[in-house]
Amino acid sequence: MDTSIIREHKSRAIEDSIKEDTGSLKKHFIRSLSCSSKKPKVGWLCTYTPEELINAAGFIPVRIFGNKKLDRSVSYFPTNFCPYLKSAWESMLENSPELEGIIFTSSCDGMRRLYDTAEKYITHTPSFMLDVPRISERRQVDFFTLNIKKMRAFLEKLAARKISESQLRSSVLLINKKRFLLSRLGSLLYQQPGSPGRIDIIPYYMILQVAMTSDPEVFTEELEAYLKIFESTGTSGEPGAPCGTNKRPPVMIIGNFINENRLWNLLSDLDLHLAAEDLCVSNRYFEKEVPEDASADILKSISARYLTKPACMRMADLGSKLNEIREKAISQKVKGLIFISLKFCDNMLYSFPLVKKELTDLKIPVLYLEIEYNNFPEGQLKTRLQAFLEML
Amino acid sequence: MIIKERLKTGIRKNLNQQYLKRLLGIIAMKPLLHAYGSTFSSISDKYLNIFSIESIRDAYCSDRTVGFGSLFIPYEFLYSLRITPFLPEVMAGFTAGLGLAEQTLAKASSNWYSQDLCTFHRSASGAVEMDLFPKPSFIFSTNLACDAAQKSFYIYARKYGIEENFHLIDVPYEKDEASVSYLAGQFREIAEKISSKMGTGLDYARFREVIQLSNRFRELAIEVNQVRRKLVDYPPYYNGLNFILPFHGLTGTENDVILYQQMLLELKNFLKEQENKGDAPARKKLLWLHLKPYYRNDIFDTLAEGNCSVVFEEINHVYWPEMDPSSPFESFARKMLSNPLAGSINHRLDAIRTMARDYSIDGAILFSHWGCRHSNGGARIIKDSLKEMGIPVLVLDGDCVDAGNSSGGQIKTRLQGFMEILNFRK
Ligand code: SF4
Ligand code: SF4
Repeated sequence: MDTSIIREHKSRAIEDSIKEDTGSLKKHFIRSLSCSSKKPKVGWLCTYTPEELINAAGFIPVRIFGNKKLDRSVSYFPTNFCPYLKSAWESMLENSPELEGIIFTSSCDGMRRLYDTAEKYITHTPSFMLDVPRISERRQVDFFTLNIKKMRAFLEKLAARKISESQLRSSVLLINKKRFLLSRLGSLLYQQPGSPGRIDIIPYYMILQVAMTSDPEVFTEELEAYLKIFESTGTSGEPGAPCGTNKRPPVMIIGNFINENRLWNLLSDLDLHLAAEDLCVSNRYFEKEVPEDASADILKSISARYLTKPACMRMADLGSKLNEIREKAISQKVKGLIFISLKFCDNMLYSFPLVKKELTDLKIPVLYLEIEYNNFPEGQLKTRLQAFLEML
Repeated sequence: MIIKERLKTGIRKNLNQQYLKRLLGIIAMKPLLHAYGSTFSSISDKYLNIFSIESIRDAYCSDRTVGFGSLFIPYEFLYSLRITPFLPEVMAGFTAGLGLAEQTLAKASSNWYSQDLCTFHRSASGAVEMDLFPKPSFIFSTNLACDAAQKSFYIYARKYGIEENFHLIDVPYEKDEASVSYLAGQFREIAEKISSKMGTGLDYARFREVIQLSNRFRELAIEVNQVRRKLVDYPPYYNGLNFILPFHGLTGTENDVILYQQMLLELKNFLKEQENKGDAPARKKLLWLHLKPYYRNDIFDTLAEGNCSVVFEEINHVYWPEMDPSSPFESFARKMLSNPLAGSINHRLDAIRTMARDYSIDGAILFSHWGCRHSNGGARIIKDSLKEMGIPVLVLDGDCVDAGNSSGGQIKTRLQGFMEILNFRK
């Protein structure tokens, strides 16, 4: 089981930051963080992985964040290769024996090669490649349903038991609930800094990390309780500029696997009014629920949800993606866009010229940032971000 | 040589679509084209050039329906639908050969294409932004072999205002029957959409005819490859890495059959001459993986100087089964799915191992083209797997299109080091 991935998150990414930045957050998620659950874990990487199946098979779905500094992984991949995947590989090299299995997805070229690398070099950990179509029409939903069935069979083999229909359905309910609660959390974030009831950027992304690395049952309970307290007090108590005269322009962030505590710290320090986001560590993970229609084929419903959730740039229909971005920007009255990409992510890099044009047409300025993973040029980015925000 | 250089200079100086159109219109006139052809050192080389020029001319100058296609689309599909293909990635290779890449790449950069992207696509994108390519009516792209085409081609579709005619052929990961029917279904759907748009209806006789030509080409390519198993040296004009367009973009045409017939004849004669001379030259035999730089470079001269010869190239491997003219869509699906670059790297490895055995290679060079994640991401696995067979691999960093992103000196040093190892063995 991958307790050390969790341990590592806790020690470096989550716990420290939680202690430093929010003080109170840790106690709300103590059970999720302490990994009190004895369930074995299955690793996953991409938001197209149906967590509900992993959970239904009796495993904790643990997203591999790869918070490791690169060391051994540099000899496996070229310099110009997705830094997140390299980091994830570093974690796998060290921690994979503690995972019962890993679910990969055919999301991008890099991910395909990561899977191949895992297959060749860490043979002790069973891995599965979930093929995710790039189109979201009927034919693709049917095809993805077949692939999800194969994933189910893989998990059943790992668990040495069948996943029953009722287990699957209750797992769907649970993960939907998690999504619903995370959406509520999101709506607390998208307000002016200093507004009563607003959650700050730092705890928001911390909670999301916990959401993706802990037992959904435990986490959902803790998040529900947290939201209750948070919403009932009416004040955030979180850092941020006081409400009133000094209104911040609403900003949207678009990115891929952006998981950078120093970035969140920076944005929080700058009192950024994050009004909308499109990230694979956030809304692309939790938006849209699986329809809970008891008469429908549950795997097909799962398939349809994943193919029609807020899309990653890997999907074919960039036109719909651009519409989605445009609508969000308009409805949230966004005044500026931060487009932040991990280096060497083709899907993101190709999207930029289109996003730039779309937003320029709306007269919304765009800041383009390309970063490594776990290697954040704080000073330089601060200057650029400051200049950008001042301009808005 | 002089004609070629003059053409290049003319294009560089007048880089616009009108000029290209005019030029292609002139040089593709039969007498001139044949005069130009006489500057080549063999008939097959002449055919290669003439057929390539004709196919590009068709896209530029005629009133045909043009379709952009990415490399691993089965072009039989387009020919069957009477769509004239135009291959931006291959054209990007030409931009390098013609010395235009600096301009197209600069244009791409000014249009926000990151320098971290593959230059085949960046250069093509620059050319699209400069309006150098003919306007397509349809755009076909695929996620085979990489993510790049489906993205850049979509951008083209938007640029030309034809998003509704952008078709992604989504090639699944597994190579099983479910994938065949998923993929065949996509072909059928796209074909129906297009033929109803063009008001033609599906012409199955045409599919049959094109597939038969493609099968004939396939047989010839297999024969050529069989002759190549015995060849160590090659005629000076021959470089297997120059056949991307005929191997992909011309499949299903009569010209392709003519070209490969001629190539087979010439290589057979060359082999005979080599056999008549007695012992085959004692050179180290290399397998070339991925592509090569398409601007002027001295990689192959360096190899020859070091007593090494590229005896086969991954891109010339005939990987697909014979197609069934009576079920075109399933045949296209099988062709795409049998591409070793689809899905797991094990398929590519299996193909490489077969080539290594068939051509008794001593070593392999993987040209690590900047920005190609799918190929470079597997370099270590390929290296380790061939090592298990006792075959050393050189991973050679460079760029196929952007001469400025490749260091000739470094490449030479690395080649020399590798050849030393090879020549030292056995
Ligand atoms: S960030 Fe981009 S390259 Fe990296 S895993 Fe995600 S989609 Fe692939
Ligand atoms: S070189 Fe690689 S990245 Fe570029 S088009 Fe070819 S397969 Fe794609």
